[in-house]
Amino acid sequence: MTTAGSSSSELRDLYTEESARIREQFAGTGNGCAAITQRSALVEKIALHLWKETIFPEERGPRNFTLVALGGFGRSWLFPHSDIDLLFLHADRETEQTFKDQTRSFSQGLWDLRLKVSPATRILQECDRFDPTNVEFAISLLDCRYLAGDPELFARLHDKVIPKLMTREAESLLQRLAEVTRSRHEKFGNTIFHLEPNVKDTPGGLRDCNVALWLSLLSSMDKLHDWPDPKSLLSTSARKQFEPALDFLMSVRCFLHFRYGRDDNLLSWEAQEEAAKRGIGVYEAKELSAANWMRIYFSHARSIHRTATQLLEEIPAAWSSLSRHFHNLRARVSDADFSVVDGLVFLRQSSALQDPEVLLRLFHFVAHHDVRLSTTTEYKIEQVLPSLAATPPKGAELWLYMGEILTQPHAAQALRAMHSLRLLTLLLPELKTIDALVVRDFYHRFTVDEHSFLAIESLHWLRQPRSEWEKQYAEILNELEQPELLYLSLLLHDTGKGASFENHVEGSLAIAEQCLERLDLESSERETVLFLIANHLEMSAALRRDIFDSATVAAFAERVGTPERLKMLCLFTYADIKAVNPDALTPWKAENVWQLYIAAANQLNRNVDQRLHPDVDVDDEKIAQLRTLAPAAGKRVKGFLEGLPQRYLRTYPANEVLHHLEMAESLGKHPIQLDLTRGRHWFELTLVTNDRPFLFGKVAGTLAAWGMNIVKATAFSNQAGTVVDTFYFTDRFRTLELNLSEWERFKRGISEVLIGETDLERMLKSRMQAEEKKGTPKLKIKTSIHSDNLCSSNSTLVQVVAQDRPGLLHTVASCFSHHKCNIEIALIDTEGQMAIDVFYLTANRRKLAPEHLKQVEAALREALQAGP
Amino acid sequence: MTKVEAIIQVSKLDGVKTALHEIGIEGMTVLEARGHGRQKGHTEFYRGREYTVDLIPKIKLEMVIADTMVEKVVQAISTAARSGKIGDGKIFLSRVDEIIRIRNDERGEDAL
Repeated sequence: MTTAGSSSSELRDLYTEESARIREQFAGTGNGCAAITQRSALVEKIALHLWKETIFPEERGPRNFTLVALGGFGRSWLFPHSDIDLLFLHADRETEQTFKDQTRSFSQGLWDLRLKVSPATRILQECDRFDPTNVEFAISLLDCRYLAGDPELFARLHDKVIPKLMTREAESLLQRLAEVTRSRHEKFGNTIFHLEPNVKDTPGGLRDCNVALWLSLLSSMDKLHDWPDPKSLLSTSARKQFEPALDFLMSVRCFLHFRYGRDDNLLSWEAQEEAAKRGIGVYEAKELSAANWMRIYFSHARSIHRTATQLLEEIPAAWSSLSRHFHNLRARVSDADFSVVDGLVFLRQSSALQDPEVLLRLFHFVAHHDVRLSTTTEYKIEQVLPSLAATPPKGAELWLYMGEILTQPHAAQALRAMHSLRLLTLLLPELKTIDALVVRDFYHRFTVDEHSFLAIESLHWLRQPRSEWEKQYAEILNELEQPELLYLSLLLHDTGKGASFENHVEGSLAIAEQCLERLDLESSERETVLFLIANHLEMSAALRRDIFDSATVAAFAERVGTPERLKMLCLFTYADIKAVNPDALTPWKAENVWQLYIAAANQLNRNVDQRLHPDVDVDDEKIAQLRTLAPAAGKRVKGFLEGLPQRYLRTYPANEVLHHLEMAESLGKHPIQLDLTRGRHWFELTLVTNDRPFLFGKVAGTLAAWGMNIVKATAFSNQAGTVVDTFYFTDRFRTLELNLSEWERFKRGISEVLIGETDLERMLKSRMQAEEKKGTPKLKIKTSIHSDNLCSSNSTLVQVVAQDRPGLLHTVASCFSHHKCNIEIALIDTEGQMAIDVFYLTANRRKLAPEHLKQVEAALREALQAGP
Repeated sequence: MTKVEAIIQVSKLDGVKTALHEIGIEGMTVLEARGHGRQKGHTEFYRGREYTVDLIPKIKLEMVIADTMVEKVVQAISTAARSGKIGDGKIFLSRVDEIIRIRNDERGEDAL
C-alpha cells in the first residue's frame, strides 16, 4: 500500500504489480468484466493518490474543482490498454487559472506511469454548451463519474447541467450518433460477418454496445428530463441476450489487449486460434475449434448488432428529413397483412404468423419493398418458431415462396433477416453448415453465409448498373428464363465448405442434392442448380488460360453446353468474385469474364450442327440417363437420335427426348404430332413431323396469325428427316389462357395449315391488318444480316438481328424456303424488341454456294424492308 | 541490384511462378495489365454488336533481384512464358540503387 508521500517510482511499482496481478488473474479465469473493473479501480486509486499529492491533500477538495472520469473510465470499463478519459471541471475561470500548474503536474504524473490519458479542461458553463463539431464530448458526459475534488460541483454537473443539455439537444445528439454509427457500419460493409473482425468497431462490436446504451439513455432522458434507472435502459428480452454478449466481448477485448500489448482490437486468425484454445469468453471448460469459437463470437455480435440497429431505426428523431420522407413513402406499400411505419414492418393481426404462408409472405414483402422488421414483429416471429420447427413447410410450396423471395430486389436483406432470426436454417437446414463459418483464405473478407448473401445481392445491384460492363451483365440477367435457379445455386454453392469433404464443390453438391429433393424441384431445374454448383469455378479457371485461344473457348463451351447455362454461369462467376471482397472484381477481371462469355456464346451458336453418329459411341451423360429411363427403348432411341445435332441433346432433358421419340413413333397414326404445354413464363408448342418445305415458316406464320408472340424457337432434324421444332410463345390476347377449349382448335389449326387444308396467307393477312393499326414501335432496331460459310462444316450460318414484330419469323423462314434453302437448325431468341435469329441452312444437303448465299441475303433484306 | 519487369500471357503466370520458385525467387509483385505490342487486337461479334479488344489482358510481374541472379531469372521467365507466338511478352531490366525493408530498416541485398 502506498502512502501520500511515496515517490513516483513506488507508484510505478504499484501500477506494474497490480497490472501483472490483473493479467494473471485474467489468464486464470478469462473473466474480462472483472479485469476491466479492477483496472478501473487501480487507475482510480493512482489518480486519487496523485490528486492528493499534486492538487489538494484531501480527496473531497478543493472547492470549485472536480476530477471526473469520462467515457470507458467513467463506466469503469478500462481495458488493459484503453485511453483514460478525464475531465478537469472548474466552477469558473479563476479556479482554472489557480490550478493550472497543479493540473499539469497531475497529468504528468499519469503520463510518467505510461498511462494514455486524454484530459479535457472545462468550466461548468462550457459543459452546458453544445458544440456540434465535438459531439463526442457531449456523449462522453453520459458516462461521467466522480473521482475527486468538490462533490457539489460534480452534483451540479451530473444532476442539473447534463440532464438539461441532453433534454435540449436530444434530437441533434441522436441524429449525429446515428450518422456516425451508420457511416461506421457502412465502412465495414454493414455486416458483422468479417473473417477477421475488429471487436470494437465492426458492427456487433463493443462500440455498438455503447451506442445501444447511449441511444437508450438519451431517449429516456429526453422523456424524463432526468437520469433514468439504469436497469430500465433496455427491454428485458433485449437485456437477456445483450448482457452475455457484452460479457463475452469484454473478455475478448481484454484477451486481445494482453496478447498484443497495445490497444489493438483486431481478432486475427492467429488470435482466434488462441482464443478458441483458451476458451476465452466461454465458461464451459472445453476446447473449441477456432471455427466453432467464432460461431459463438458471431452469435453474440448478432445480438449486439440487432439491439443497436433496432434502436437506431426506432428513434425517429435520428433520421434526417430526407430519409424520413423516404421512410414515409415506404408507408404507402402497406397491405392487408402488413403495415409499414417509418420503414418498419408491423403485423396487422398478431396471430397471423401461426400460418406459415403469412410468415413467408412477410419475408417476400421485405425482399420486395426494402423495409425492415420492427422489434415487435421480430418478437412475434421468435414466438412462432418452435411450432414451425415441429412441422416446417417444405416441398414445392416452400420453393414457390423461396423462389419468389430470391428474385426480389432486396432478397439479400430478407435472407439476412431470416438468418438472424434462425428461420432460414429452419427452412433450409442445409445452410447450417455455413452459419457464421469462417474459412481462412487470403482473399475472402466475409463468413461463408454472408458471402453467399452478398453474391445474391451483387446480382440484384445490377438492376441499377453503374458502369458499361455492369450494363452488359444486367442485360443477360434480364434474359434468364429462371433466375431463381441461379440465386438458389448461389445460396447453396459453398455449403460444402462447412462439411468434411476434401473438395468443397463435392460437399456442396451432396448437400444441395438433399435440399433440392426437399424443395421438390423438377428434374431439369435440379440439373441446372447442380450444374452451376459443380462448375462454379470453371469460368475463373478458364480465365487463367488464354481466353482468345479457340481451343480454350471450345473446351469451355463444350463443358457448359447451352447458351442459357452459359449466361447463368457467367453471372454466377461475376457475383461470386464480387462477393469475395469489395475490390475482388477488378474491371480487368470483369472484362475478361465478359470476353470469355461472348466467345463461348458464339462458339455454342456456331457449332451447333455437329451431328450425333450412330457408329460413334457418344460419351454423354444424357445418353446414359436415357438408357436408365428407358432400357427397352435402346435401339429406337439410337435410331431417333441418329443425325440430330449435339445441341439437341443439350437442349432437352432425357424425359423430353423420350417424349419426342414417342411422338415420332406415333407419326403413323397422324402425320402431325403436336404437344402444347403452359410453362411459368410462356406456352411451349412441340411439333414432331416429317420434314417438308416451308414447315418452320408455316408454323411460325400460324402462331403469328393467332396473335401469339414467339419468344424463342428451336428446330432440329434427324437423319431420317424427322423434325423436332419447339416454339416458346406468349399469348398476347390470352386466347389460350382464358379458353381451354381453344387449345384443341389451336392445335387443329396448325395441323390444317401444315397439311394444306387452311390458307395461311389469308389468316395472316387479316391479322396483319389488325396489327397495322397499332402504330410504330418506340425503339428502332436496325436490321443486320450476318452470314458465315466457314464456322460449320455442314451448313451456312445466317444470323438476322431485326426489329421484333408479328410474323417476322414467318417472313424470314418463308424467304429461305422460297430460295430452296433447308433450315437444318433454327435458334430464335428475343431480347426486348430485338429479334436475334440464327439459322443453319443447306441446299441439297450442302452449304450454300457463295452466289446462292448472296441471292438469299438480298431477298431477305428486301423481305424485311417490305414489312409483313 | 536489378529490377525485372516482365509482361507475360495470363495463361503463363502459374508456369513462370513455378520456374522462379525453382531457382529460389520467392518474392514478386503481380499486376493485372492490359496492352499490346505487335500483337493486334481481337474482334468478336455478339448479337449484332461488335466487341473489339485492342488492349489484350496481360500479367505484369515485378521483382528486384541480386545482380548475380539476373541471367537465371531471365532464362526462367522466358522459357516458361514462351509459346513462340506473337504476344508472348517482354522482359525489362533496370538498375536499382537501394532497397529498404520498412519493417526493420535493412538495406541493400539484405532487404531482398
